[in-house]
Order: sequence, then structure tokens, then C-alpha cells
Amino acid sequence: MSATDAPSTASADELQYVQYEGDKEELYLPAIRQLISKDLSEPYSIYVYRYFLYQWGNLCYMALDSDKALIGVIVCKLEPHRSGTHRGYIAMLAVRETHRGKGIATKLVSLAIEGMVAGDADEVVLETEVTNTASLKLYERLGFLRSKRLHRYYLNGNTAFRLVLYLKEGTATKRADDAMRAMEGDRVVGDTQMEEGRYDREQFA
Amino acid sequence: MAQDPLRANTTPSEDAAGIAHVDGSGSAKHVRHVERHAEAGLPMRQALKQQHKIAETQIHDITEKFRTAAGALAVGQLVKDEYFTLFESITAIEIMDPKMDSGFLQPGETVEESYDALAPLLPEEVIGIMDQLLSYEMAWHTGYPLSQTLFTSVYIDKLLYPESRVFEEAQFYRGFVPDDKRPGVLLEVLRAYCLALIKCCDFVIAKIVGRDYYEEEDFCTHTYNRVLFVQVPMDVFQRELNAAMERLVEEETDMDEVLRNALVTRLEFRLDMLTALDLECPIERLQKYWPTILKSLTLIDETHHLGEPVPDAFSTKIQRRLASTVPPRPIVELDFKDAFQKLRQLCDDCVEATRFAALPVDPLEYQSFLWSYASRTPAPLPYSRAYLSTILFHPNTLNTSMSVPLMDLRTLLLPASPILDQSNWTLSPPRDILMPKPPRLQLALLIDEFTERAGQNYIDLWTALGQNRCRLRRMLGHVILGWDQLCQDTAAVDEDLMRVVHDMGIEDEVFPFPLTTWVYHKKLWMMEKMVLLGFEQDIYFPDEFAGMYHFLSEISSGRRTILFRIQAHISDRIYALQDHRTTSKSTSTSPPPSNPQDQPATQQSQDLHDAHTYLTSLLHEATATTALAAALSTFYIITLYLRLLPYPIRPFSTELLRHELRMKPFLTLQPPEVQAFDESVKSLQPYGPYLEPDDKRVWRELGDKEGLLWRVVDERLKEAKEGLQGLKKGGAGVARAGGVQAEWEEEVKRGLKSCVALGVAVAGVKGVVGALAEVGRDGGGHGGKGLGEDLGIRLEIPGIGEGKRYSEGWVVGKVGKVDKGKGKGKGK
Repeated sequence: MSATDAPSTASADELQYVQYEGDKEELYLPAIRQLISKDLSEPYSIYVYRYFLYQWGNLCYMALDSDKALIGVIVCKLEPHRSGTHRGYIAMLAVRETHRGKGIATKLVSLAIEGMVAGDADEVVLETEVTNTASLKLYERLGFLRSKRLHRYYLNGNTAFRLVLYLKEGTATKRADDAMRAMEGDRVVGDTQMEEGRYDREQFA
Repeated sequence: MAQDPLRANTTPSEDAAGIAHVDGSGSAKHVRHVERHAEAGLPMRQALKQQHKIAETQIHDITEKFRTAAGALAVGQLVKDEYFTLFESITAIEIMDPKMDSGFLQPGETVEESYDALAPLLPEEVIGIMDQLLSYEMAWHTGYPLSQTLFTSVYIDKLLYPESRVFEEAQFYRGFVPDDKRPGVLLEVLRAYCLALIKCCDFVIAKIVGRDYYEEEDFCTHTYNRVLFVQVPMDVFQRELNAAMERLVEEETDMDEVLRNALVTRLEFRLDMLTALDLECPIERLQKYWPTILKSLTLIDETHHLGEPVPDAFSTKIQRRLASTVPPRPIVELDFKDAFQKLRQLCDDCVEATRFAALPVDPLEYQSFLWSYASRTPAPLPYSRAYLSTILFHPNTLNTSMSVPLMDLRTLLLPASPILDQSNWTLSPPRDILMPKPPRLQLALLIDEFTERAGQNYIDLWTALGQNRCRLRRMLGHVILGWDQLCQDTAAVDEDLMRVVHDMGIEDEVFPFPLTTWVYHKKLWMMEKMVLLGFEQDIYFPDEFAGMYHFLSEISSGRRTILFRIQAHISDRIYALQDHRTTSKSTSTSPPPSNPQDQPATQQSQDLHDAHTYLTSLLHEATATTALAAALSTFYIITLYLRLLPYPIRPFSTELLRHELRMKPFLTLQPPEVQAFDESVKSLQPYGPYLEPDDKRVWRELGDKEGLLWRVVDERLKEAKEGLQGLKKGGAGVARAGGVQAEWEEEVKRGLKSCVALGVAVAGVKGVVGALAEVGRDGGGHGGKGLGEDLGIRLEIPGIGEGKRYSEGWVVGKVGKVDKGKGKGKGK
């Protein structure tokens, strides 16, 4: 993937970009699951999707073709993080293999970031494999920087970069208030990783 | 029996039931039942159980309530309570989904594996199984769980489960076995090997969890409630191995000599491994064991081809019976070749670690060793790191006459100092507590207060140096904050110290505020390392290179200034001592200054000279870092203006926000180390924005090989080379890296090579900048015409770990010619 990967807006615009709606789970969710689990070595249970979509369906965007078939999807969340910031997190992003390289993912990420900006986010965070150059390029062109290298972050033993995008000045010096600190007690630690598990141990180890 | 995890948390009455099941035939039903007991250890279940006993059971019919409540919901409407977290969602499974539900059986599939562990094996098959086990053992060492590696072995499973009450029960069967099914010699050989292997795992886990040197990402200590013969002493396993070897030789007389030798080699290897991994191994004998193992490795490697794989002896099904919250995962396949490479590396790294025990008692030598060890490629495995840390934190290492931070402090700042005079610690406080304490005693107490406070910070640094490389960088961030706090806390102690020094009239002999200076110096050193690690780990985007090297240069330059001041102070003291000697020879009436009475002047003089030499070495190093970083920073500024580096537009970000994010780890430091954004822009964009420079001189300056920025690069590069040459000349011993001389010399050499590479790159760019005058005529807003690949060159940034960088932390771009035909298409 190189310069040829640059968004060719024409084909990206032929698609329709739609925000997820909670009462249309039956309509959308099976396709979302199918598209995302294609890239996963182990499937997420339906509860993982529901966890995100129930609370932050407004930060889920779908790219549909003229037949309403799902071509791409992004799933996110946005909530106060114990570091004191209002943190957006991109949990899943997938584009159908046949439609890659057309700027669809870039469009989806842009929509999600705009949604987070509207939701008063301080920063946006995600992880991606160090070898996934297409993904790294996509995010880095939008403004994300690599903040950390995470050794063997994924269950398959692969290493990740954490990418961060600040949206507001003063984000770096925000401090957790006392209410947030009280939450530290119930931090999640498990043998399944997705943002929280690994990140928390690092912060408070 | 107390160690039995199945019973530890259950009540006595249930205990009996547990035993009955453990002793049972091991049918699926029984196994399930026993597993439920295993889960009884969960606190919530325990609590429920107790309640159950105390309170009388009452049954309420909630059908109606439930129906009414459910009626208020639409079909498909989701309900979520606040306790349903991301973690819950991730650990949830869907019943009857073959990928998630571990109890799901495909048509015709059985729960239990059907492999017969008592079926006779050929010698080739035993070799095959042993080597496969070795592969899984190494896969485990590299971070995969036992469930996906060694615990997939049917033989290991049989030995461990059901757990044996006495060691002799640990067989490939339980209970009665007809004579014709009893395992023969070869199975006994395999059993001895497996038993010893399991004990090796036990030793490895104990060593690793005994230290703060691992993280879950590095190494998985989970044993799924299987007990790896924790209580069985090592000699039992040695006996089994020896007996197996004897039987092989005595009873298998018909066996092909080559095969028999291959089997004996493997048993001997296990025997050696056990000895080397033994937790009780005395520190002074560590060096003996690993070389023996290395020798038998060659023999194993040479006979590996004799083995015959037995894939059926390994099964994912066993995972279903392990106490785990996750569905079965695929077996991790690591090629024997790769596994063997890892094993060899493990041994090499452990051999290297044992050299630590022979280091001189000097925390700075330790620091050099730890840094060098952490820099080994490939990176040492968690076990080797834990192994080194066991030696590092051994009482022998830490029980020194002087505390570790104090030794470091003395070397850098307080050689032959009255502040650290031993006699200060021999004074008693006055009987009358209202009387002031003698000044020397006050000094001793202040120093004690400081070392007590600083000890943990020092250990934190050592601990960070033992982590995997990624975590080292992140942890350094935390350690730096700790040292920053230490610096602030030390200020008060330092003030008291200086007051006493003033009262004693020995200001000339004491570097002002020595404690904070020492802490600050160390903090800056760590910051430099952290930035360099960022380059090494590919954290920075090419357009950040200029800024990050600039930052590095600023920090290092600050450290260099401190070192200059310290060295000047030491020089003054050396002169003062010489003066005193000359004068005291002529006029013996002159009283000796406050210098330690019990220390002969020659010793003092020697200490001061040593310190002076050490500081010279540090200064060379700091100069080289400052200068090379500055040269690189300037080089990348130039190449950004020339559009030889990508500079994305980044619609959602600004330079200000990226600067804040990048500087986050350092923003709170006191005194402030981070340049304000405006200042940083001035330094990094001397001619205005890279894409639209508003200073008209830019093209003239960059087009002239003697222009300002080019002169900066050339001068700083020269300075860097001189620094490194000076450092090299002083040698590893002077730099307090005598224990890792070869590695240290290699690092200096790599630094020098980086300088040479930068010189080449500079020449490559200079060679084409003559054409810039033309760009200048167009003015700034020309859309980059005549820049970038239009210059006829391209700048390639060598990636990490490809051997293309001389030093991973010093990223030097390589200039290449643009193929005109190709260049047109790409250079848009």
C-alpha cells in the first residue's frame, strides 16, 4: 500500500454512509459481525458488539452500497478515562476486501472522529499491529501519532502500536479527579485483551 | 495435602467427596464434577455456599413479576446494567458456537482424546515426542500459555491429572494395569523425561514470579490448577532420569546404538537443565552449569532427524479439562529449528547473566551491564531476565558496606569528600538533646535520610532495565517522574547539608547542592535513553525526527553543562590538594583542612583523579550525544524544507497538539525540560513553515553548501565524532563499563559509524542543492516545484531491526538517486 492507496473520492462517494441505529440491530448486526470477524483469529461474542453499539451506536458508521449491502464499518466508544480525559476509542474497523484502497476506511474514521469531536472528546486512541502498514498510514495521515509500542499485545503474539490523536489543547496535563480515582479499584484485568486490560496494568503496575 | 488446589478451599465434608472423585476412573462425568470443586475457590461461590448452610432455603415464585417486567419491553430491546463492562463482554461466550463453546462437539467428536498413552513406542517415536515437547517448551518460554503448548501433550496430562497423592502414582495410568499393558523401558524413559520437564517448568515459573521482571505479555505463568510437582525435591527427578538411562543401557541391548545414544543425550540434557534451573543453586557456582547444556545441545540438534513425529500424542482437547475461562485455542506450532534457536539463546543469555556475579562492586558497572543486557539482540527471554535479576537482587550484590545510591553519588560528585567520611558515622549525639549535634554527625544523618529516600528510586531504575524493551521505554517514563519527585524532595535535605557545610567552613570541598545535582543528572540521563528508545521502537514519524533529536540534544546539553561544572570543581580540589602538599612540606604548621583524617592524602588524590577521568569520559559521551542529535536534527530540518521527507497534511491535528502529545511524559518535570511550543517552532522552523517558508533567504541558505544550517550540521558532526573518539580512547573501564567491554566498544563504534553515515547523507544532499537558486526565484508558494524528488534524490529512512541502521537509536537517512523514469510517476 502506498500513494496508490490515496482516497479516490469518487468511488468512496458512491457509497452511502449511515449511522447505526439501536432498534435496527436485527438488520445491521449480523452483517457487521460477519465483516469484522473475517479479520479476527477468534470471534467476539455478540455481547462485545452490543457493549459498544448499545452505548455508542451514534459513533458507529456503516458504508453501504446501492443494494444496502455492508461494505465497511467502524465501531467506537467515548467515555471519561481514568487518566482524566474524555477519551474516544476506535474498537473495530473493517472494509470488505474487494473495496479496499478506495478511501472508505478513511471516510469512516473521519466520520467517527467528527462524531467524537461533537461529543466533546479530548483525544482518540486505538491500537493496531505494527506490521499493518495500511492501517498505520491511514491513521497517521489523519494526524494520529504512535505513543507506545506494546510487546505481544495481541493473543496471537503480535506487537501493537498505540496511536493517539489529541483533539484539544491541555489534554496531556489533565488529571484524574477523585471520583475517577475511586474507579481504579475495579479495573479490569483479564487474559483477553482489548484496550483496557493491557492499558490499565501498565498505568498502575 | 494442603497444596491440593482442589481441596484447599472446600469444607471438610465436601473434601471427602472431592477425594472420591479424584480417585475415580477419570470419566468425563467425574472430571466435570471435580472441576466444579476447583471453581469453588472463587470467593463469590464460597460466600453463596456458606449462606446456604446458615439460612433456611426459601423459595419464591417470581414468574408473575418476571412476566410483568418483561412485558414492558419490546421484543429485541436490549437491557444493560451498569455492571456489564467491556471485560464482561469480552469474556462472554456464546453457547453452541463451535469457536467459543468448549463443550461443543462436532458430529461424531468425542470429549476425550483416544490416544493410548500405554501403547508401546519405537525409539524414533520417543525421540520425536521429546523434541516436540522441547519445541512446545520453548514456545511457552516465548510467551504462549501452557494450555496451547506443553499441556497439549497426552503424556504430560496423564502424569499431572488426576493429581497423584504420592509421587510414584505419577504414571501414564492410574490404579491397576494388567501386566501386559505395563509400560516398557521406552515409556519409562519418556516418563522420566516428561517428569523432569514438568519440574523444569515449575522451576521456571518460580524464578520468574519471584521477580518483578515479567508481565503477562511476556510470559504466562498460568498452570490451570495443575500442580507441577512443586513439593517434590529435585533429586527425585534426577533419580528417575538416572534410572531411565541405566535401564536403556542395560535392558535395551538390541537397540540401535545411535538411537540409544540420542535418547541418552536427551535424558542427560534434561538432567543438566534441572541442575541449572534449580532455585537453590548457589550464586558462586552458577557459571558451571550452562556450558554443559550448550554442549549437549549440539548433540540433540545432530540427532533430531532420527525422530519420528507422533502428532496424535498432542491434542487441543485436553484444554477442555483445564481450569480456564477461555475456549480452546489452537496449538502453537514452533518449528524445531526456531525452538532450538530459542533454547540456545536462552542458554547464551543465562551464561552472560552469570557474568554479573563477577562484576566489581560498583552500581555504575551494574548499570552498564544491565543496559547492555537489555540491548542484546534478540532480546533475552523472560526467564533469562529473571535469572539475571535474581543475581542482581541477591543479598551478596546488595549487602555492600556503602548503600548503592551512595556509591554512585560518591563516584560522580563526592569523591574523597568530607561529607562521606566514614568517621562521620562513628560520632554519637550529645547526651543533652537540647545541645546541637556535632556537624559531622549532622552530615551523616542527612546523607542517611537521603539514601533511604533514594533507594527505591534506584531499584526502580534497575527493575525497568530488566523489562522487555517496549516496557522499558514506557516504564522509564514512570521512573523519570519518580526521580523528578525525588529531586524535589531532596532539595530540602540539600539545603540543610549546605548549611552544615557552610558552618564547617568546607564549602571549597563540596560541590554545591550535591544531592539534587546527582538526582538531576541521573534523571536527564534516563530522559535521553527514553528518547533514543523511541527512535529504536519506531515511535516517531519521519517529520518528527528533527524535533525529537532537537529535544534529545537539549537534554543532553543540559547534562553536559552539569558535568563541566562538576569536573571544574574536582579540578579545583586536585589543585588545592597539591597546593596544600607543597605548602605543608615547607611550613609544617599549616593545619590539614577538614579532609578525612584517616584517609591518606595519596588516596584522596587518587580518588579525585579517578573521578576526574570518569567525568572526562562522561563528558565525551554527553558531547557526542548532544552534537550528533543536533546534527541530525538540523539535517532533518533541511530535508523537510527540501521536501525529502513526507509531511502529511493531517486534517484532524495541529502541530501544537502533536507537540503536546509527544512531550506528554515530560510536561510536568521540574525544572521544565520541554520547550514551549512557540520556542520549539522557532528552533525547528527557522525559515517558517516547511511547506511554505516565508523567509526568502531559505533557498539561498540551503543552496549554499556553506550556508548557516549546513555549517551547523558539519560542525556538530565533527564535534560528535571527536566526542566518540575521546570516549573510545578513554575505554570501557574508565566509563564504568569494564564488565561489558566488548559490547560497550561495539556501541561506541556504532555511534561513530552513524556519524560517518550522516556525513555521507549530508554530502549526498549537498550535491544537488545547487539547483535551489531556481526554486528561490519562484518564491515560496510554488507548490514544491524543483523540490523533493525533482532534486534527483530521495531520502530513505532505514527501518528498525533490519540491520540497516548502524545504531537503532540514531536514525540516519540514506540518500539515493531517483531513477528519472520512475521518479516522475511517484513524485506527485
